Amino acid sequence: MLETIKLSKSFKGKKAVQDVNLYLDSGESVGLLGPNGAGKSTTISMISSLIKPTAGEIKLNGVNIINNPEQIRRILGVVPQELALYEALSAYENLKFFGSIYKIRGNELDKSIQRALEIVGLQDRQKDLVKTFSGGMKRRVNIAAALLHHPKILILDEPTVGIDPQSRNHILETVRMLNKNEGTTVMYTSHYMEEVEQLCDRLYIMDHGEIIASGTKGELLSILSTEDTIKVQLSKMDDRFVTQVKSIEGVRKVEAANTNLKIIAKKGINLVSELVYLSEQHHIQLINFHTENPSLEDVFLHLTGRTLRD
Amino acid sequence: MKSVMWAQLMKDKRNPLFILLFIAASIVATILFAGGIQTPTMVAVFSEEENAPEIEEKWHELLNVDSSFQFEIVTPEKAREDVMNGVIDVAVNVTETDYQIVIASELPTVSFVQQHVEKVFQREAQFRALEEAKGDKNVRSKMNSYLKNAPIQIEAKGLDGEGLPNFNLGTQLLFAFVFLVAMFMLGLKVNNVTNDKVSGVWNRMILSPIRKTGMYSGYILYTFLITMFQVIVVLILFKYVMNYEVGDNLGLILLIASFFVFSMISIAMLITGFVKTPEQFYSIYPSVIPLIPLVSGAYMMPGTISNPVLMFIADLFPMSHAMDAIMSVVFYDAGLRDVMMSLLLMLLIGVIAMGLGINLIERRNQ
Ligand SMILES: Nc1ncnc2c1ncn2[C@@H]1O[C@H](COP(=O)(O)OP(=O)(O)O)[C@@H](O)[C@H]1O
Ligand SMILES: [Mg+2]
Repeated sequence: MLETIKLSKSFKGKKAVQDVNLYLDSGESVGLLGPNGAGKSTTISMISSLIKPTAGEIKLNGVNIINNPEQIRRILGVVPQELALYEALSAYENLKFFGSIYKIRGNELDKSIQRALEIVGLQDRQKDLVKTFSGGMKRRVNIAAALLHHPKILILDEPTVGIDPQSRNHILETVRMLNKNEGTTVMYTSHYMEEVEQLCDRLYIMDHGEIIASGTKGELLSILSTEDTIKVQLSKMDDRFVTQVKSIEGVRKVEAANTNLKIIAKKGINLVSELVYLSEQHHIQLINFHTENPSLEDVFLHLTGRTLRD
Repeated sequence: MKSVMWAQLMKDKRNPLFILLFIAASIVATILFAGGIQTPTMVAVFSEEENAPEIEEKWHELLNVDSSFQFEIVTPEKAREDVMNGVIDVAVNVTETDYQIVIASELPTVSFVQQHVEKVFQREAQFRALEEAKGDKNVRSKMNSYLKNAPIQIEAKGLDGEGLPNFNLGTQLLFAFVFLVAMFMLGLKVNNVTNDKVSGVWNRMILSPIRKTGMYSGYILYTFLITMFQVIVVLILFKYVMNYEVGDNLGLILLIASFFVFSMISIAMLITGFVKTPEQFYSIYPSVIPLIPLVSGAYMMPGTISNPVLMFIADLFPMSHAMDAIMSVVFYDAGLRDVMMSLLLMLLIGVIAMGLGINLIERRNQ
């Protein structure tokens, strides 16, 4: 339904997004995962026609829409990363305003508002001013404001940043419901791997403005099928020890945090004896040792050498 | 456009104190600095010459032509005492042809009084010079009768101090403060454009079917209406409740004010075009605005500013044109035709600034 071809954007010569190819099929739920500054918001802004790409195409049902964005705007709901609301107004008044700019009027407007409020679970607080809301409730109004015109495609840009786990679950549940029950096509960006993992059928991993991997969760994890992730807890941390672990044959990456080590190594090599030998040399005890099932976090680590939250 | 205006109005309805504060600011500033217009500044006149009563009487009459100041003859001792004790701000010690100002401290009123006295004495000196040169004792009355029938009445009255019995610096200051406060108010409202751009509300509007022209005109028209509301309330309070002199032709005055407000909204939009955040606007706008009445000479007697550079700068802002027009309506009974030029200049400034401003704002989006 919607696809981008070699989509690129530079700000004053600095590349923010480069050659991004992605697509969205009707009814899908697609994740865009990447650390801060990866270019997720810029990509979304281009897709939603808020900024013009430096190069590339955006096609809606095969038609390039960069120079006539009205078509996509009509079927698109965008939940921006920032809280695009009037804090001094009530939830209801905010929605009334955002509905009225979509030319929804009178009875129909009121019905749309009540439906949107119901979806995000704020019907009983609609008369309260947004500035009295918690962070999570504000995020929910932010979502409701994008639902008033019944969009076919809903794009959410980090809708759970900085809120409590309960609100976060509520929002994830809402998005899942919109996708599964209402048939809304969803594009969800986040730098929380768990969210995208839970919610999305398919995902794109973005870093430094480029898509570095894409596919279903299973497909992405299979990238790691040749690797094991081993977690080790030590009695103390020692840099020379870490350096030596890194130089063990078959070890691809080592991450150190406090007294914990995360080691990614070629499948099947026998690390245990090597680690025991090295730790004795450095007078370090191995407190805990286990092999983990790889997660998308590990995929990211594998692809970039960094964690998502760096 | 209506939706945008509705949202702005709802926000202000939640915060009516804000507008009341602006109305109060106009009134308080005027009372503080214009010193209560109905009670003109008292100035003592005295002389220590031999024929003091005669000299005092002559200057007393010549000086008392302006309802801003009330000159009163007192004894030299009382004058000095009153100035020392702060009962009055200024006293004038007059001689046959010259004067000396007696003050205790540099109050704002002092320079107004001094400007006025200086003008009267200079004019008298000119008459004397003419009389001496021509040996004609009737120069003064000839001059006056010529001026009464002069082809351009406003200028003629300006030349002759006795022809402007109504001029009142207090009234001028009143309008200067009303406009100053209006400029702050409209600036804050125009800054909502930047606020909404930063918050993302602007982007929501871009994505909606609402037109760009509808968006801009929503903000501009709302700012215009709310600022005019404030100006109208303040002027009505001054005129009917506090009985200040604001002229008889309130309709024409409000027309001039509306051109001024539109023109300043455009300048605020132009500044908006240069800033990225509402905070940047707050750091630029309030430091520029108070300078406008200063260079426009709105706080001083007309004609005080003669530096051509300052006058040129003042002409770039609508305030000098608005003040010119208002003063000629209030004091010289000017009609719509007389102030047309000022109105057109304000319109021109407004259209140019608005065009540039919106252009800059749009360019920032890419
Ligand atoms: N308007 C802009 N002007 C200049 N640089 C920008 C602008 N918007 C984004 N960038 C830069 O582009 C890169 C990607 O930003 P963004 O798309 O916001 O990333 P993300 O949403 O993944 O955190 C960052 O380096 C950011 O600094
Ligand atoms: Mg972002």
